[in-house]
Amino acid sequence: MSNSATARSTLLLVVTATAMVAAWLIIRPVLADRNESNATDVTLTSTSTTTGNTTANPKYQVTVRKPTTGPRISTGLQDVNGNVATVACGTCHSNRAPNIKTKTVADLKHFHRSLQLSHGSISCLSCHNSSDYDALKLADGTRVEFTEVMTLCAQCHGPQMRDYEHGTHGGMSGYWDLSRGPQAKNNCVDCHNPHAPQFPKMKPTFKPQDRFLKKATTHPASLRTNGL
Amino acid sequence: MNIGTGNPDQKNTSLPILGQPTSRRTALKVAGAALGLAAFGKAISPLMAIPENVSVDEFLQQHYKELSDDDKTAIFARLEKETREDYGADVKISDSRPIPGVKFGYAISLSKCNGNGKCMEACNQENNHHRGVDQSYIRVLEMSKGSLDMDQGNTTYDHTVPQDDKYYMPVQCQQCDNPPCVTVCPVEATWKEDDGIVVVDYNWCIGCRYCEAACPYHARRFNWEQPEIPAEEMNPDQGYLSNRVRPQGTMEKCHFCLHRTREGRLPACLEACPTGARVFGDLNDPDSDINWVLKNKRVFILKEDLGTRPNFFYFFD
Amino acid sequence: MSTTTGKLLEQPPHYVRNYPRFIWWALGESTNGNWLFYLWMFVLTCVALVGANAWAVQVADGMIVTNMTDHVSWGLYIANFTFMVGVAAGGVMMVIPAYLYHDKKMHDVVIVGELLAISAIVMCLLFVVADLGRPERFWHMIPGIGRFNWPMSMLTWDVIVLNGYLLLNLHVCGYLMYMRFLGQQPNPRWYVPFVMISIFWAISIHTVTAFLYCGLGGRPFWNTALLAPRFLVSAFVAGPAFILILLAILKRLPGQTIDAGPSRLLINIIRVTILTNLLMIVSEVFTEFYSGGAHTASTMYLFLGLHGFDALVPWIWTAIAFNVIAAAIFLSPRIFRSTPLLIVACLLAFVGSWIEKGMGLIVPGFIPSTLHEIVEYLPSLTEWKVSAGIWALGLMVLTVLLKMARTVFNDAVAETPVP
Ligand code: SF4
Ligand code: SF4
Repeated sequence: MSNSATARSTLLLVVTATAMVAAWLIIRPVLADRNESNATDVTLTSTSTTTGNTTANPKYQVTVRKPTTGPRISTGLQDVNGNVATVACGTCHSNRAPNIKTKTVADLKHFHRSLQLSHGSISCLSCHNSSDYDALKLADGTRVEFTEVMTLCAQCHGPQMRDYEHGTHGGMSGYWDLSRGPQAKNNCVDCHNPHAPQFPKMKPTFKPQDRFLKKATTHPASLRTNGL
Repeated sequence: MNIGTGNPDQKNTSLPILGQPTSRRTALKVAGAALGLAAFGKAISPLMAIPENVSVDEFLQQHYKELSDDDKTAIFARLEKETREDYGADVKISDSRPIPGVKFGYAISLSKCNGNGKCMEACNQENNHHRGVDQSYIRVLEMSKGSLDMDQGNTTYDHTVPQDDKYYMPVQCQQCDNPPCVTVCPVEATWKEDDGIVVVDYNWCIGCRYCEAACPYHARRFNWEQPEIPAEEMNPDQGYLSNRVRPQGTMEKCHFCLHRTREGRLPACLEACPTGARVFGDLNDPDSDINWVLKNKRVFILKEDLGTRPNFFYFFD
Repeated sequence: MSTTTGKLLEQPPHYVRNYPRFIWWALGESTNGNWLFYLWMFVLTCVALVGANAWAVQVADGMIVTNMTDHVSWGLYIANFTFMVGVAAGGVMMVIPAYLYHDKKMHDVVIVGELLAISAIVMCLLFVVADLGRPERFWHMIPGIGRFNWPMSMLTWDVIVLNGYLLLNLHVCGYLMYMRFLGQQPNPRWYVPFVMISIFWAISIHTVTAFLYCGLGGRPFWNTALLAPRFLVSAFVAGPAFILILLAILKRLPGQTIDAGPSRLLINIIRVTILTNLLMIVSEVFTEFYSGGAHTASTMYLFLGLHGFDALVPWIWTAIAFNVIAAAIFLSPRIFRSTPLLIVACLLAFVGSWIEKGMGLIVPGFIPSTLHEIVEYLPSLTEWKVSAGIWALGLMVLTVLLKMARTVFNDAVAETPVP
């Protein structure tokens, strides 16, 4: 009897010891992981300076798409090929004095009446010159080319411009690592209509259907096995 | 035939199958066993289709980390050949390794994302996803303004976006620093690489789906069947650990387009985003865009309380 | 008679060499039987073949033939697996009183519990294999040639404890039967330590299996410390309930005498465990509903339905009803007198905990998904077929094992000349 009691207590001891060893085995990698991650954090900061240095002298450039010079406007007429005929703004405005009083589209009598203007409370001449229609103007009257339109936008949209410069506004493509390749970025007016800059509503066109688990029928492999 | 005598030798003589076929019962048993075996063979005959799909080389293939460069060359050639045979597409399989010193991070501006879902589509095309179900590593949740509770969210919306009272939150693999999916895998078929990307060896995974249960972000996808991809839509630029055609019965997940990003390029979902809500870059580079976001925006991570330590961030402008 | 058997042996030390022969002989003997036995085995074989065929199709065509999705990525297989681990662990309930408390009467039926454990573990392993997307790659798990993610992955722990439990029980049962066959007194040194280990081991198999789920922080429904204890008590309902049914069947077989003592003890065990189980369910449900919050979603879905989805509601209420009725019957003193009543109570308890542990525990862990999407799940025909096949195979194994034990232990039967 006492024999079996000893056997039982020995057994209990063995089991407890095994459990403790097992627990240690589980915990140890976790602890090691903790220490390790602290250690790597330190090394990471040191390597990051070198990476920073390399990107400070990038081999490749970020190019911003530029709008083509001078906007054109539809005449509402069609040419022989059926294309809409457009004219450069200067065609009319070189010999027509603007009406300074015109503030909104509703005030217009001839052209531009289909124009959507929904851009805060600014008026045409906030951005357009009253005489030089081949370029835009900044708030202080400085002339700015259509290709440099972003400078104009940035006057009011500072935070957006700041985000843009840090890659957090506007579409882009190419390389994140400028030591390996160039990057291309959209221009403000690629996505925003300057007269009605709110980003357009969109209709989602793509939806994963996996929840329904439709059976594929056209894949050769599934055909093969289905045939059996 | 007295079995009760207990002499093993004597018993041996009465062994039912090896013993004397004189006994009617034994003969019947042999017949029954043979019939049973034959029926079993017939029952599992659908397995005969497998040798066509699984070659001996594939069966014996070692874990990715054990492969020598020669092994890899041979394996990639085999996989390219299989893709040509099964899908009629010529592809090139590469093996981009992490760039030393780089750790990837990804951030999404919830103020900009408008839920149009172009990222999901780009992922589908870039990564040779199953076209039958329009698979993608990304899901975009339409969330109610005023709440971060995903219970209020919905992924199946199909009206014009953005809706006035909603905001949109894309979710994909968060490349956790403490990834539960890696911990639970019984065969180390999934692991975290030096640049932070969690990858899967599609030729090592046994398909137990434990990682799918463990991931708190619904980031993992199982290949319930062989993916279907038309030859003309196949992306030929393929990575062994990323977008090559995945075999049936294995797990896959977002890999930050490692065949692109490890070559310095931006991920496909970022390029597809028309709003510029997505920011990608090197967390170890203090001048990177991603670090600018982390320093200057109000950033949060999903399900922070779970301790997964994601490298995927969300922010509002 | 058994002592004479021993004396007839001329070279008793050659145990090991003769052991395989003994197994072979016992297998042959245990496949002898009357027409009822053959009919039973025939039916089981047919079901098992249907299951094997369904599984083969699943492997060839992919898991698309199941109703599992990326949202509900484990289903009927893992549910059955979890339940069978419980049955295997519950089998040990016979062993504890027999060996820890030296209850002599239990010694006679203890082998029934252990044989049940063996067949249950065989079923567990089959269910896991059925759930694999690439079963031919199982070798990736074998330490040495594959990569075994131990000790980090709980699944590797489960593989170890399940196989270990299988080996332990095979050893104990095999040894006891072999000694009996040789007509020798079993040497306690060769089996008592193993029996003791298997008691702890039984607890461990179910605890580790619970850890599989409760270790997942992303699944609030499972992420509760109560899961492992809950698993254990429901195991100690299902296991003994099954054994009680078995004993009742065995009692009806000719030439079988089974003492009422063990049944009495098992009923008393169930009386405690079934109430504890209900108490634990109540405290889980209370914690979830009283505090509310996002983590309640799965419980809500399970018990009441969520956002108009309620596929599991009938299941769980059936389970609760079964458990409550079973508990009421078990508590009534009439349970000791009426065998039909006992069988009904056991069946209710068994089915009740099967639903509760399977469809009621594994599936709602996935609904809603981690992104709070609701994708419902009900098993496909393939899944039912494969599961039925594995059950049939398990019952075949159990039948054969019990017949082996009966041949060896029951002199009356052994002495009847085979027709
Ligand atoms: S998001 Fe999911 S799949 Fe990605 S690393 Fe984290 S746990 Fe793993
Ligand atoms: S499904 Fe594959 S990757 Fe995921 S845990 Fe299982 S073996 Fe590992």
